[in-house]
Amino acid sequence: MSEVPKIVYDRLRAALPEGTGPERAHPDADLLTAFAEQALSVTERDGVLEHLALCGECREVVALAIPAADIVAAPLAAETEVVRTTVSRAGAPAPHKLSFAWPSLRWVALAAGVAIVASVLLVHPGKLNRAMPPSANRQVATIASASGPQIASSPIESSPIASSSTNQSAVSTKIGEARPKSELRLPKKLKAGQVMTPPHQADLGRLIADNKKDSSQADKLSAAPSAGASAFDAQTGRGATETVEVSAAAVAVEVAPSAERSLTARNETPAIEKAKPARQGIEANEQQETETAAAPGSARLQARNVMSASKLALPASQTSARNVTWTITAGVLQRSLDSGQNWQNALRADHPLLCYASHDEDVWTGGQAGTLFHSADSGITWAQVRPSIKTQQLISDITHIDVRDVPGPAEIVVSTSNNEIWSSADGGKTWEKK
Amino acid sequence: MPISAQSGHGADVAAALYIRSGAAAYDVSAEQFAAILDEILRKYFDSAPNSAHASVEQKADFCAGLRLEELALARACAGGNERAWQDFISRYRQKLHGMALHITRDGAHAAELADSLFADLYGVNARDGVRRSKLVFYTGRGSLEGWLRTVMAQEFINRYRKQKRMVSLEEQTEVGMQFAAAVPGSACAFSDRTSDQRLEAATDEALAELSAEDRFTLASYYLDGRTLAEIARTLGLHESSVSRRLDRLAAGLRKRILAGLRMQGMSHAQAAEALETDVRDLRLNLRSSLMQDSGAKTFPEGKVPAQDAGKGSN
Repeated sequence: MSEVPKIVYDRLRAALPEGTGPERAHPDADLLTAFAEQALSVTERDGVLEHLALCGECREVVALAIPAADIVAAPLAAETEVVRTTVSRAGAPAPHKLSFAWPSLRWVALAAGVAIVASVLLVHPGKLNRAMPPSANRQVATIASASGPQIASSPIESSPIASSSTNQSAVSTKIGEARPKSELRLPKKLKAGQVMTPPHQADLGRLIADNKKDSSQADKLSAAPSAGASAFDAQTGRGATETVEVSAAAVAVEVAPSAERSLTARNETPAIEKAKPARQGIEANEQQETETAAAPGSARLQARNVMSASKLALPASQTSARNVTWTITAGVLQRSLDSGQNWQNALRADHPLLCYASHDEDVWTGGQAGTLFHSADSGITWAQVRPSIKTQQLISDITHIDVRDVPGPAEIVVSTSNNEIWSSADGGKTWEKK
Repeated sequence: MPISAQSGHGADVAAALYIRSGAAAYDVSAEQFAAILDEILRKYFDSAPNSAHASVEQKADFCAGLRLEELALARACAGGNERAWQDFISRYRQKLHGMALHITRDGAHAAELADSLFADLYGVNARDGVRRSKLVFYTGRGSLEGWLRTVMAQEFINRYRKQKRMVSLEEQTEVGMQFAAAVPGSACAFSDRTSDQRLEAATDEALAELSAEDRFTLASYYLDGRTLAEIARTLGLHESSVSRRLDRLAAGLRKRILAGLRMQGMSHAQAAEALETDVRDLRLNLRSSLMQDSGAKTFPEGKVPAQDAGKGSN
């Protein structure tokens, strides 16, 4: 970044509006809030900017008050920075964080290259997958069937899916440069209500689960939704690329604790969305399609499972809802298990998160472009919820969530930036729009 | 004309806004809510320079753009409605603590800050025997959550400023601060004053030509040390846009200042020299050289941090 002459620092600082009449009065909190939320008219915005250009105090207020949805490395700053002060750091070049510095860019370029190679190989699996004997798929189906409605961690760990990565070595080896070697690629489609539990974190650093609604050649493993008999109907065909059919409304991916691992599993809705790095841009997301099922009642719930849980330092059993503190920093939902001493990223979605609400172990968080997630276990697992009614889907920014404590399923009220109010009286299964 | 006093279409609008706000759930009547809207309209339109030209439709649009539900909740809380407070607590109590942690980065201070703000919101302090809740100042221009965050940030900065003013006399005595001679100021730079003034004038002129947004960007980056991402988020831009803008501003400022200096009779070489060899640097270097020569710093200028107070100066 270019430096300016020191005289500019001096003159910028000298222009502070101290005691210079009512026209210099500080904007009130309402105006500053509206400014930070880009909700002011052009005239008002110019007026506020005029003041902010001169008033370091108000700039500090705005900087502290802004939700900071896109600010990079805020979680890291939270770990290192003790107390933020209002002391100006002028006079000496400030320690700026350059996101586009070459050391970062070269990794981005490398990751992009790897992603391209990986996508080509995935789209045209060709010979890579043929090497897998058909019996392997049967083995997966048998194990999965035996495990009941839950795809337990150990079967996956020991299943040929894990070992099938040898067939994809060309991909895995390259991807391994950008992410942990223990990563497991697991394209699947899951039945409704299923909870997919990845293996122990010691063995599985990151799991990217693809739900691919594939062609007739795809392997189909169907699992019963809950206590009913689970029938995994395996067909041989693609070898390493197993596909489990899902008619699920929500698929949760349960994560065992790890301080260093992250897990991402997504079911993709018809609209393909870009994968976003969970931490430091090294995470490669995979996209998958999920069949949506009509929810009971008139409303229809489309569900998409996007989960990115990283750095969950404590075991789930130790996570008590009353000890958990939540905050949103840089558009990422963070939680603290020790009254704010340490923060972990609990959820990073494709779009910045803006608000959250929690009640006991129920946590809801919403963000831009109708992003809405629900966790029923204090943020261990997340399921994306897409509220919709017959003709309309919630696509505007979610600015507020209210979880009302009523007997039975929680009542959820979601407010949006365009003043819509969506509510669900059955814990998010069906929705009404006011 | 206030919304509450309108008939026909205006009354319909007011009724629609009232229904949308859900204020009835908090026992706020339609008349009370209309009065709240009128008060907000007065605040924003009466102070505006062209308020006289604001039509009823413009006012209705303005009201429709407010966060009506949150406004109703805030005003109902300010009015002491019990259900409103229950809703407020369930929605924001924990968030307040999270916000405070985000701002203070310290658990103890966060709890103190959040509790203090909560007390202000509840209206613990009574004025003329009337409990005055801070929520009465919320007008619904932005989200209630954002407003709470802003108010909390203001409170945090006010506290910091107060603490900054408090100086420990004991610490000052220990380091000999009260005996320190006055800083000579700019007397040493007397000979450079003329060129200094010309440089200042040229810089002021160059800065004045910039837009408010550009000056805000410059001040945020160079004075406050904000990151590109923070500035981008504040202005609703992309980081790379801010980066390019800063580069452009830095280059443009240099050119304008040089041009300004030349307009004041300096040659190009003199202007470039004046800009590069800033007297502030000379002054600073002189000070640092003197400090190095003198060795131990007997009378430090600043306040000694508390943890070093017992060690004395070295």
